Amino acid sequence: MAFLEIDRLVKRFGATEVLKGITLEVEEGGFLVLVGPSGCGKSTLLSMIAGLDTISEGEVRINGRRVNELHPSQRDIAMVFQSYALYPNMTVAENIAFGLEMRGVPKAERVAAVAKVADMLQMGHLLNRKPSQLSGGQRQRVAMGRALVRDPQVFLFDEPLSNLDAKLRVDMRTEIKRLHQRMGTTIVYVTHDQIEAMTLATQIAVLKDGVLQQFGSPAEVYNNPVNMFVADFMGSPSMNLVPANIRAENGRTVVALSRANEEDLILDPGAASEKLGTVLGQDVLLGIRPEAITDHDGADRNAKTLVDADCHVEVVEPAGSDTFVVTHLGGKHVIARMRSDASVRGGQRAPFTFNMDKAVFFDPKTELRVA
Amino acid sequence: MSAALAASRRTPGSSIVPRIVIYGLLIFFALIYLIPFFVMLVTSLKTMPEIQQGNMLALPKAPTIDPWIRAWGEACVGLTCEGIHGYFWNSIKMVVPAVAISTILGALNGYVLTKWRFKGHKLVFGLMLFACFIPFQAVLLPMATVLGEFGQIGKALTNATGFAFGFGNPTVNLVFVHVVYGLGFTTLFFRNYYEAFPTELVKAAMVDGASFFQIFRRVLLPNSLPIIVVTVIYQFTNIWNDFLFASAYAGSGDVMPMTVALNNVVNTSTGVVEYNVNMAAAMIAAMPTLLVYVLAGRYFVRGLMAGAVKG
Repeated sequence: MAFLEIDRLVKRFGATEVLKGITLEVEEGGFLVLVGPSGCGKSTLLSMIAGLDTISEGEVRINGRRVNELHPSQRDIAMVFQSYALYPNMTVAENIAFGLEMRGVPKAERVAAVAKVADMLQMGHLLNRKPSQLSGGQRQRVAMGRALVRDPQVFLFDEPLSNLDAKLRVDMRTEIKRLHQRMGTTIVYVTHDQIEAMTLATQIAVLKDGVLQQFGSPAEVYNNPVNMFVADFMGSPSMNLVPANIRAENGRTVVALSRANEEDLILDPGAASEKLGTVLGQDVLLGIRPEAITDHDGADRNAKTLVDADCHVEVVEPAGSDTFVVTHLGGKHVIARMRSDASVRGGQRAPFTFNMDKAVFFDPKTELRVA
Repeated sequence: MSAALAASRRTPGSSIVPRIVIYGLLIFFALIYLIPFFVMLVTSLKTMPEIQQGNMLALPKAPTIDPWIRAWGEACVGLTCEGIHGYFWNSIKMVVPAVAISTILGALNGYVLTKWRFKGHKLVFGLMLFACFIPFQAVLLPMATVLGEFGQIGKALTNATGFAFGFGNPTVNLVFVHVVYGLGFTTLFFRNYYEAFPTELVKAAMVDGASFFQIFRRVLLPNSLPIIVVTVIYQFTNIWNDFLFASAYAGSGDVMPMTVALNNVVNTSTGVVEYNVNMAAAMIAAMPTLLVYVLAGRYFVRGLMAGAVKG
């Protein structure tokens, strides 16, 4: 039995269903990230776990205990809010100790607990300040300290980093991961940022329009997306989705991509060819991530199926660590990720290497995975 | 205006004329508003002979606070000539509880109407808002009936226990009237303030385990100083200055509030009209509201919520 179980959870506001039967579970010490575009219901789901929103149908269990009817304070959870929600009239120390005070913890214990948490988050020097005297990153730390001090069974994070600037966000991300490794407490984390999801999670749940699209480890969700939405949502730059035709050529199943003023580009689907046999002669969408299209020397040496092909280069975007090369296949722009020193120029032809091990195929109508 | 200011930014020398016009007008209207106050003040410091012969606007030749002392301790209200000090305290005893109760209840209403919404909360707020538009006169007779009932209850209680528990007491009656009448306004003030109050703070406090009243007392109220000040000033001024309810429900005897007493001082005609004493009494009557503005006005602080959410 998992530590946190979310069982066929439904949320209705009047007649509209915003969550349509979500089932998830996390092991103790797991890090579940709920990710999806805004309005997908991920924050509502978190609020329902916290007890700040009522549950229309289904059940939430923490450590085997049904919590549907319990007040937020009795669920043994702590929450970090997007806006930090620090009490402006209290000092940092009072903010952190408030939850303990409300639970009737004696003063001496409170002081000790606050000191311990302040030490852990390296903010002992801030304890007597008011929230208005803190920077964004410091407020974020206080908000985390307020959750940590309670030592709950589950931490809930509601987009905690979205108000920070880019650099601080990366720092705090690492800090959260470090804290998780150290404390080993179960965490449920909501974000719309797929990079945060990938870096932090042990389990990712991708939501869209109140429906769970895919639930699995970051690698599973990234490498084996179940549908086009997940494929497109996870990863940056996002996965190339190219219209392609499945054909039989010399007794083998191949993928043909149309090109402007050129003959079609023929790719060997490798391991996927067996499944693709069922859609022979049909149009599909080839999904291939930018890092699976490289220059020849940059390709993964362990890949089983590498296909070399010359393509016309439209634009070259050097990004420092990598160079993104845009070409035109199947009527779409396709982004390839080459090494930064790859000698490619816009307007010329250049050799590309396709790692077909990483290729996935979708039905353009149902948007579901075919192979 | 803005065109003139924009022009002034381009050519610094030309800014002087519009400025003179603006400040001239402002000073002119300020003077018009201040003249009655000035006349009251100087008249209250003059002796009667000086008033009878002199110019209204002239400064007192020999300033004396004797009229103030007489107004406080000797002025005649109807047939009793013990000054207005008793009535002054009547007003204080009525205003302080009325302001405190209506402010606290308004804050509580605002809290519930924004952070603990229930079905029909809009209708309830709409009806409370409606209370702001009901004229005093419309309440006069129904309220008299209600207060009459209170008097009956008070009599019954006195017969049964020997103590009326405040029922039928004119001061208590006035407190009740002003609390009921003020509730619409105080609720409006606090609801609009709490509407903008970050709900995540309330949620955080819920997760922290604070109860309904703990959230109100520890999170909402300490962050409500600006609106508390506004409400207190508004309620204090209104209740202190009220004449209609005061004269209708406590219009005679020892229980008169200040406003009614002042009216009676001015209307009491025994021989010469003592303008200086009347003016001094009026000044004393106006003093508390002035004081509230001066003291509480300082606490019209802004940016108190800075730091609660991302700043």
